[in-house]
Amino acid sequence: MGGLLALCIVIGILVSSVGSVRIPVITVWQIMLSHLPFSGISGDWSSTTDMIVIGIRLPRIMLAGLTGAALGVAGAAYQGLFRNPLADPYLIGVAQGAALGAVAGFLLPWSFLGSYFIPVMAFAGALLAVSVVYLIARVGKTVPVTTLILAGVAIGAFLMSLTSYLTLISTSEIHGIMSWLIGRFSMSNWEQVALVAPYICVGMVVIFLFARPLNVMQLDEEQAQQLGINVERTKLILLAASTLITAAAVCFVGTIGFVGIIVPHAVRLVWGPDHRSLLPLSALAGAGLLILADTASRSIMPPTEIPVGVITAFLGAPFFLVLLRRKKKAVF
Amino acid sequence: MKKRLSGVFLILILLSLLLSSACQSGSPQANTVTDDFGRQVSIAKSPERIISLAPSNTELVYALGLEDRLIGVTTYCNYPPQVEDKPRVADFSRVDIEKIVSLQPDLVLAGNIHKDEIIPALEKVNVTVLGIDPERLDKILATLKMLGSFTDSAAEADTLIASLTTRIKAVTDKTEKLSTFERPRVFFLTWHDPLWTVGRDTLVFDLIEKAGGENIASDLSGHAQIDLESVIQRNPQVILVLTSMGSQSTSFEFIKSEPRFQATDALKSGRIFQVDTDIFGRTTPRAVDGLEEMTRMIHPEIFK
Repeated sequence: MGGLLALCIVIGILVSSVGSVRIPVITVWQIMLSHLPFSGISGDWSSTTDMIVIGIRLPRIMLAGLTGAALGVAGAAYQGLFRNPLADPYLIGVAQGAALGAVAGFLLPWSFLGSYFIPVMAFAGALLAVSVVYLIARVGKTVPVTTLILAGVAIGAFLMSLTSYLTLISTSEIHGIMSWLIGRFSMSNWEQVALVAPYICVGMVVIFLFARPLNVMQLDEEQAQQLGINVERTKLILLAASTLITAAAVCFVGTIGFVGIIVPHAVRLVWGPDHRSLLPLSALAGAGLLILADTASRSIMPPTEIPVGVITAFLGAPFFLVLLRRKKKAVF
Repeated sequence: MKKRLSGVFLILILLSLLLSSACQSGSPQANTVTDDFGRQVSIAKSPERIISLAPSNTELVYALGLEDRLIGVTTYCNYPPQVEDKPRVADFSRVDIEKIVSLQPDLVLAGNIHKDEIIPALEKVNVTVLGIDPERLDKILATLKMLGSFTDSAAEADTLIASLTTRIKAVTDKTEKLSTFERPRVFFLTWHDPLWTVGRDTLVFDLIEKAGGENIASDLSGHAQIDLESVIQRNPQVILVLTSMGSQSTSFEFIKSEPRFQATDALKSGRIFQVDTDIFGRTTPRAVDGLEEMTRMIHPEIFK
């Protein structure tokens, strides 16, 4: 785990010297070091170069890392909670709720509310959608996972139909809407990092604390109950925490696919299914994957960008298939 | 052998006679043009009932003075103001084929987005369709000429083209001899998150060049996303933001308040302007208005 954490940090530092503008690796490092207190490093780089590294690339890398970590953990938690290999963070309406909120935000003529209007709408839409799904799925005092999935799929389809219609009738906003739906880190800044980091970090810690109950629940909910685990409470807390970190992850950058479903499986294939390691490793692998994907997105065809959502699947799927082939026994 | 040959000749002569007489009786002065999609389109007589499927096509029809023949437009047609009274038969991308057929048009002016589905569908019900998609400044003039000759208004078209050419020349006379250093770097923004701009092979590219500017996205073509760090590095001196006039100017406000844009020459000197999407996003004679407006923004010192 320490190795993967170190790898993530190294990736983060290395990719900061890659981008559509060519800046020498040495200069990038000098710039980063010069911003550390008492480093005493200064140089003759321009303020533009400084801003590209510190003001554009670093927040982008940080946000990609946070988003990847959140989606990786939420995916692992959902797959464990639902005991279903097809579960991903978007299974019970987070993405569809966020998407409808965001698209409504794009089309409502309330831009005077500022640049946080769309992310706030997306965040609220995500939480609202999952709350509705949860309330609908409740049977007496319990929430059966099958009912939860079915309610989630139905609500998701309902919301998606509205989103598709709104997208279709949009005109000048269409670039913005499509980019949000595929996901992008193009305009990431430190404010966004600062706003989503607390949600994602706290949510992930909460999920990590429930690793052992998740392990026990893999047997059977009834058995877990007999072994002293408050199944319904665990379910509610895990759903709430996963929803929160996913909503925080997608509200600025959009609904990036693939990471949340594939990362936990890849981690399981390599390091095994124990949630005590699976959850934190999924965070690190998710962060690493999304940082790499975004680097590819912004540097393969300068000065244009390839949407990061396209890259995650394009690079991630073959990698995952190799893992799948190497492991000849059943997965999950 | 001889007999057989002469038989073949006889048949050939008979056939050609038949064909020529058919042509004459069918269309005494059939008018054929090549439309903007390279299709050969013929019409027997000057069209009297015209439907436009794009706001830019509607403007072309008015520019040629053919508005009395216009019997259907789109919900987005807003120029000239008199177009308000025309029946609506389509919106941005969806086209009401039933309604079109019921109006019995003899000419439909379609656009780029109708190429694959709508044009074949209309042809199947025997409606004459012209594809209109000028996409460059000089092509607008060529399209006017083509449309003029197809609608028996070649004289009107020629007059209009002559006046537009004179106005374009009045601008380029002043701008074409500018050296690279005298050409401000222009960033044309069509959306702010992510940044979308307009590169080569577009009307906007022509206009920036003719207005004496240098498009910072000249290594891109068509509508394209551009990376923030590239824009900051290329340091635009003028930023033009495509805005739908009369509605919210989200992109304009965003760029004006985005901290990382404050370091660009354009924002330092306050040279960020909104430009009307109806003028710069459509290919119509009003593109020349756009050219003059853009030149005033890029070169206020030489073009007033």
